[in-house]
Amino acid sequence: MGAMAKVDDFTSSSPAREYLTFRLDQEEYGIDILKVQEIRGYEPPTRIANAPSFIKGVVNLRGTIVPIVDMRLKFNCSKSDYDSFTVVIILNLRNRIAGIVVDSVSDVMELPPDSLKAAPEVDSVIENDAVLGLGSLGDRMLILLDIEKLMSGVDMGLASEAE
Amino acid sequence: MAEVHQEGGGSGADFDLSQFYQIFFEEAGENLDLMERMLLNLNLETADDEELNGVFRCAHSVKGGAATFGFSDVAELTHQMESLLDRLRRHELKPNSAMVDVLLESADASRGLLARHQAGGEGHSPPTTDLVRRISVLVSGASAAPTAMLVPVAKLVEVAPVPVASAVVESVSEARIDGIRSLEITIGPVDRPDQADVVKELFRDIPGLGTIATLPCGSSEFRVFAVETLSSDEDLIDLFAFHVSRQQVTIKDVGRSAGRGDSDLAPKMNSDARSDSYDDDPPPGAPLAPLPGFGFFDGAPGAPTDMLPAGAVKPATALRADVRAPAHAVQPEAATIRVAISKVDQLINLVGELVITQAMLAQNSRALDPALYQQLLTGLTDLDRNTRDLQESVMSIRMIPMSIVFSRFPRMLRDLAGKLGKKVDFVTQGEATELDKGLVEKITDPLTHLVRNSCDHGVEMPEDRLRAGKSEIGTITLSASHQGGSIVIEVRDDGRGMSREKILGKARERGLDVSDQMTDGEVWQLIFAPGFSTADVVTDVSGRGVGMDVVKRNIAALNGTVEIDSSEGYGMKVSVRLPLTLAIMDGMSVGVGDEVYILPLSSVVESFQVKSDAVSTVGQGSQLVKVRDEYMPVIELEKVFQVPRFNFEKPSDIMVVVEADGSRVALLVDELLGQQQVVVKNLESNYRKVPNISGATILGDGKVALILDTGALVRRSRH
Repeated sequence: MGAMAKVDDFTSSSPAREYLTFRLDQEEYGIDILKVQEIRGYEPPTRIANAPSFIKGVVNLRGTIVPIVDMRLKFNCSKSDYDSFTVVIILNLRNRIAGIVVDSVSDVMELPPDSLKAAPEVDSVIENDAVLGLGSLGDRMLILLDIEKLMSGVDMGLASEAE
Repeated sequence: MAEVHQEGGGSGADFDLSQFYQIFFEEAGENLDLMERMLLNLNLETADDEELNGVFRCAHSVKGGAATFGFSDVAELTHQMESLLDRLRRHELKPNSAMVDVLLESADASRGLLARHQAGGEGHSPPTTDLVRRISVLVSGASAAPTAMLVPVAKLVEVAPVPVASAVVESVSEARIDGIRSLEITIGPVDRPDQADVVKELFRDIPGLGTIATLPCGSSEFRVFAVETLSSDEDLIDLFAFHVSRQQVTIKDVGRSAGRGDSDLAPKMNSDARSDSYDDDPPPGAPLAPLPGFGFFDGAPGAPTDMLPAGAVKPATALRADVRAPAHAVQPEAATIRVAISKVDQLINLVGELVITQAMLAQNSRALDPALYQQLLTGLTDLDRNTRDLQESVMSIRMIPMSIVFSRFPRMLRDLAGKLGKKVDFVTQGEATELDKGLVEKITDPLTHLVRNSCDHGVEMPEDRLRAGKSEIGTITLSASHQGGSIVIEVRDDGRGMSREKILGKARERGLDVSDQMTDGEVWQLIFAPGFSTADVVTDVSGRGVGMDVVKRNIAALNGTVEIDSSEGYGMKVSVRLPLTLAIMDGMSVGVGDEVYILPLSSVVESFQVKSDAVSTVGQGSQLVKVRDEYMPVIELEKVFQVPRFNFEKPSDIMVVVEADGSRVALLVDELLGQQQVVVKNLESNYRKVPNISGATILGDGKVALILDTGALVRRSRH
């Protein structure tokens, strides 16, 4: 309900944070490592009828039913193959658990707050307020996501009603 | 199918009652332990109300339970304790160490009494008369002359061991007089008489059963035993039935023996018992041949009376040892332990993982050559079986039947109805419905409130009921059932119902925003507003308006909903719908395309292979199938769930008829895969509500399968 305030403590005074980075097609994304519960290989989920195409279905995670969202479909990547390198990042978001499918997980890196740039207003499939900013690492650009906001968005359709 | 729960229980509910006994014994044990701790920590000079109230509550709980289950001796003793504690907590008496002592002893005695009941009434009961007397002295006497009484009381405590010891003997003697029966038991005809001899082992193995000795018998097909026991014929036959058939057992009572007749001597013997009564001499008055190996129930009942004039023979210490030993043998061991739910959950999840791992191993081992890997494969088969057993046992830990909750109400209602001067019948239905323990605990309070409300506000006074043309006795029904993947608990009464006008009036009084156009459903929901009460009089039972909003809040906290249906003059129904978090359900798995769905077995009526000419279409293409002169709508699961199909050669041709909300539909599926118990998992905890799906479960191979909401499917066919 009221936990949308996570973005606000994103100030230059806050200490460096650790981000898990993953690839979707050619793009590299980073999410707060503290939201990540575990990383698993992809196993075919149980399909759910009439769900959006990027919701692949639900899997059994040690007795918990967890929905799986394919970020490549959600972000309109050109291809979304499932092979032995496809991984699922299990996220723990405000007592809800969800998995996201990504092409590969790169690494965990620490980003000092001053290396972050505000994201310019661009037209993209990602709601703009779900992008925390852009991090630059040499010639690589990292898109930092507020995964919590992204996953709880209405168009994600993970919750029954917008909370 | 209604089963009326009676207090104390009828013979028809033996199993259930014993279930509750166990809970009572546990609770009572815990209460006594707690009381003991509190008593020991009690600071006599500065005992505060909270402490005294705590001790009082413990005694009160034990007494309440004991009275409910008919353990009058426990109830009597704890009642005395309660009286003393009541005066203490009202500061009519000042606590002193003598009181604490006697209370502690009483707690011990209560434990002994409970242990005896727990062992099925066998063994002797600890003495309580002396304790009861001492407590009543403290209750009455101490208040009159508190200081003067202190000394004698203290003395009494000092000498306590002696009276206690002798009183133990006394009670045993009583038991001998009252209960021991001499029987001649004939077993046969049997092929091999030594078969019958095994019953002797029963007497050896079961402490307190009595004694047995073989009597000479002419026939080789029969065995005759002389038995002395406290048990009834039925109990004995039940025991013997382990070894020989009931028809082969003949029990002849050879009289309650001589001692029984001398009833005028009995009291005298009681009073003198402490001086003697134990003697190993065979009783001269015994009707049977002398029996070897007398144990605790030594001697026929006649013996003590005969031996009385002889005076004391045995030293008291020896007596006590004799008497105490068997008492230890029947000490109940803790039959249950309390464990944090989180530990159980962890266990459940781990077992889930184990099942998946096991399934994976099984799959990978299929390619192995059985001849080469015989041992490995045998091991895997064992693992399979053990894993499944383990899973089943672990799953069952959390589930408890609703009867646990329901059983609390008969007594409460009885008291309540008595207090209000109403006549109420209590009916429960579906108490075998299993519910997660966490839910059971949380639903008890709201249900208590609803039942209370029904009794207080719903059911009218007998004369009002008669005037309204109803039976004098009101009925409150409590039912539980699985419906559409939820558990629905209903509290119904046939009382006065609710008045729409009255509620609207009250709502306006309280400044709530209401209009006459509101539907009944909306009006009934008003009673959930905080502080809302339609009761004309505030009683000590209900009417203060703090109830229904709390009920609703508690149920909403469980992700449940409350619905009310009422008709003025005819009664009211409150339905509490709870989601299944971990309810176990019998399911039927069906295959549609490559996917597996689970149907609640309770809603499955039949299944059959359909012939193409049995299906006809109506109007806009909806299909009907004719089953034994009845047409029912067909629902193609493949279309409802948009199942992708790769194999078009074999069309679905199996129909499963399901029934929900009173109507039937036929579901078209590809194949029937089997029946199994499934653990219902909530889909909404991490995802969202899915149309036509009530939940999900995890199959043996670790895959998720969705459980169909038959109610929704049936409703769908209506539109």
